Amino acid sequence: MAQRRQPLVSRILLWAVILIATAWCIFPFYWAIITSFKNRSDIVTKPSLIPWLHFQPTLFNWLSEFGNRWPEISKALTNSLIIAIGASLVAIGLGTLAGYGLARFRFYKWNNSSMTMWFLSQRFLPPIVTVIPFFMVMKTLGLIDTQLGLILANATFVMPFAVLVLRDVFKEMPIEMEESAWVDGASHFQSFWHIALPLAAPAVAAALVICFAFSWNEFLFGLILSYQRAIPVTVVIAGVSHTQGIQFQFVATRLLLAILPPTLLALTAQRYIVRGLTFGAVKG
Amino acid sequence: MQAKSRAKFLFVLPGILWVLAFTIYPLIRSLFLSFTNTRMGKTGEFVGLHNYIRALGDYRFLNSVWVTVFFVVCSVVFTVGLGLGLALIFNRPIRGQRVFRSLFTMPMFTAPIALGYLGLTIFHEDVGAVNTILRALGVANLPAWGSDVWTARMAIVIVDVWQWTPFCFLVLLAGLSALPEEIYEAAVLDTSSGWDTFRFITLPLLTPVLFTVTMLRMVEAFKMLDIPFSMTNGGPGASTQTMSFYIYLTGLRNFNQGYASAMAYFLLIAMMIIAMIFFRRMRQNFE
Repeated sequence: MAQRRQPLVSRILLWAVILIATAWCIFPFYWAIITSFKNRSDIVTKPSLIPWLHFQPTLFNWLSEFGNRWPEISKALTNSLIIAIGASLVAIGLGTLAGYGLARFRFYKWNNSSMTMWFLSQRFLPPIVTVIPFFMVMKTLGLIDTQLGLILANATFVMPFAVLVLRDVFKEMPIEMEESAWVDGASHFQSFWHIALPLAAPAVAAALVICFAFSWNEFLFGLILSYQRAIPVTVVIAGVSHTQGIQFQFVATRLLLAILPPTLLALTAQRYIVRGLTFGAVKG
Repeated sequence: MQAKSRAKFLFVLPGILWVLAFTIYPLIRSLFLSFTNTRMGKTGEFVGLHNYIRALGDYRFLNSVWVTVFFVVCSVVFTVGLGLGLALIFNRPIRGQRVFRSLFTMPMFTAPIALGYLGLTIFHEDVGAVNTILRALGVANLPAWGSDVWTARMAIVIVDVWQWTPFCFLVLLAGLSALPEEIYEAAVLDTSSGWDTFRFITLPLLTPVLFTVTMLRMVEAFKMLDIPFSMTNGGPGASTQTMSFYIYLTGLRNFNQGYASAMAYFLLIAMMIIAMIFFRRMRQNFE
């Protein structure tokens, strides 16, 4: 855009829109945070928005969340952490290899674009279609209510991101260094491991973060494949209202514990988000 | 070179096998299920197309189709529309643009199931945030978000739009900032109206990106389950019961797996149509 000085009115309008958009974006988080600092009677008797002015903030909910309610939620948080890390590592492992293969080599019988679509098709698949047979398979394998079962499920969902993003990254990387390594007798795997992978490290890390966030947020398979030991945090949240009624102040602390890790982590992957979520169709 | 050309398969093979085992195999299995009357996990008998025909006459299934289509249309129109508007506004040097961009990524990474509950507290009729604000503004007839069919649907649409507008915005902004500047400089000389520039230059150039965003939004919206699950539990009545939700209830609450699989295949067919349109346009991108 040419650097023209814009008229005052248009600049005021611009900032008005920016302010509204920002407020709209932040509001649910703000609401969750203030609710978590309200006591029960404040919530029920006088709905309010501004701490100190409308209500006296209390630490009670957080103390109880980290106190007597901690065992349940900490177990779920640990499960979610293990499942999300496991799933994203598997997805990135497979995705890096496949992404490199698709970017660097030409396949003929089954060509590159068809193969890419093979990976991408998973993203178009509604999870509800596979959840019933997946449950049956996991039952046969004895993996119901295990972290491993959920790792396998989530790795499957997030692999398309990994493959497509890394394929794109390797494609943009100049091939010359790898070619000279091949001339010197290095194998394809050596050139991948020693040259391409280190150069792609930032992208790999970003893809890992995106995969982690989506695994963490997954709900349906968590609900179906776990009932006691492997319950992830999203499923605990889904049970909140049924066991305790709607106790906003308690719900709010849990929601925040569930929401914050992926949202904050995703900020570190900023540069790759557009590319990742559009499967490389749009460069961020 | 013979050994090397074989080595290339080792890179893609693990991923391909993984998809085969965890995506294609379950799909085939559920196709088989859809032709049986399997209940409670007991392998049922082959019933041919019975489940598919049953679905077409099941008013609750048809209701869920209509609810889903409604959500898809609303979600796509509002997220893409608002996202485009915001992207056009933000597509200029703005101080602190990086901060805004970071801020706008946060909704997309909020767990939808948690967001649904948050929505429940925000749209609560007596003590929710929205009605508190409306009351403060002096609105007399406060909407009964939870108990009225259309306001409940609207509340879900609003939550979904909140979550996905930032995605459309960021993608469209990326698309806009990739457009060549020279064309605009020429356009400024030729015409003066901003609308004409948008209509005849920006929009045609942006079409591929708009296409991508629309397709991806449609796919995600068709799968919608988590937000209605936690926010309205499909209610009031079945007015926010999406296809995924009804299939979930049939297959995993009432354990009618055969019938649920058949309905799931209807959803899958819709997805496949979208995927085919998408892949046809994107094929050269994936070379």
